[in-house]
Amino acid sequence: MNAASEAPRRNVSRLVLGGLGLLFGGGLGYLVGRLIKTGVIDPGRLGWSDNLAMLIAACLLAIGLIVGLASFSRTAVGRMIDRTGSRIATPAQASFYRQQAVVMFLAGLLMAAPVVASASFEVIPMVVASIVMLAVLAVFLIQTVYNLTVWHRSDELIRRVTSETGAVCFWVLQGLLFLWAAAEKLGLAPPLTAWDIMTVLMGTYLVVASIMSARRGLS
Amino acid sequence: MKNRLKILRAERNWSQADLADRLDVSRQTVNAIETGKYDPSLPLAFRIGRLFEQPIETIFDDEAA
Repeated sequence: MNAASEAPRRNVSRLVLGGLGLLFGGGLGYLVGRLIKTGVIDPGRLGWSDNLAMLIAACLLAIGLIVGLASFSRTAVGRMIDRTGSRIATPAQASFYRQQAVVMFLAGLLMAAPVVASASFEVIPMVVASIVMLAVLAVFLIQTVYNLTVWHRSDELIRRVTSETGAVCFWVLQGLLFLWAAAEKLGLAPPLTAWDIMTVLMGTYLVVASIMSARRGLS
Repeated sequence: MKNRLKILRAERNWSQADLADRLDVSRQTVNAIETGKYDPSLPLAFRIGRLFEQPIETIFDDEAA
């Protein structure tokens, strides 16, 4: 493959990915807009962590969906593995990408479900809350199985990046949590909810994971 | 840590993906090692040495780090 034929191919890939992103973003935006307009979701009930959680959820759902759809084409997976190469991915590589996509998509669902459920009611009924919680638990268990499968199938570079991300997140967040807790105890900062902390943790994890991946040449 | 992986691979006319298949790692891992962004584990370094039939210290140079 020469440089002249490489550029249009890359442009087509970007166009396809951009199109899928626009389609998903447009669809999600329309759906959320309809839910707000019809009064199903009340944005007034959403706090800053709910908005952040929904943003993270939308990103995870979009990436999961795009990678998941792309994983059904071994040619597309081959391009994700090596943008400059022309190799078609093996079925094992395609299924590995599909499993990663499932992990991301399910993580997006887990982030969104409690926010959407609580924003749909002024006071969420116990029955609805229990059903949503059971669904969250079931999806969490499925996602954990996929997460462990991805870990087992990963090679040592991905495992190293995952471990480093976990270590950096722990040291950064335990320090920040301590400082916030101290300020809160002294009446200098407002109290945080478990959902606030989880959302910050998830957002930080995604940012740190991106930086760690870039440092090791994975992105 | 510097290494001669890219040279050894080029001598055999292998792509990064070819080498990755032989080492049972991803192409990204081979690329990260070649570009000095990642130092392989000892088991992987041994696999690389065995594949190229050379001692590890002739492939990896820890003093150039």
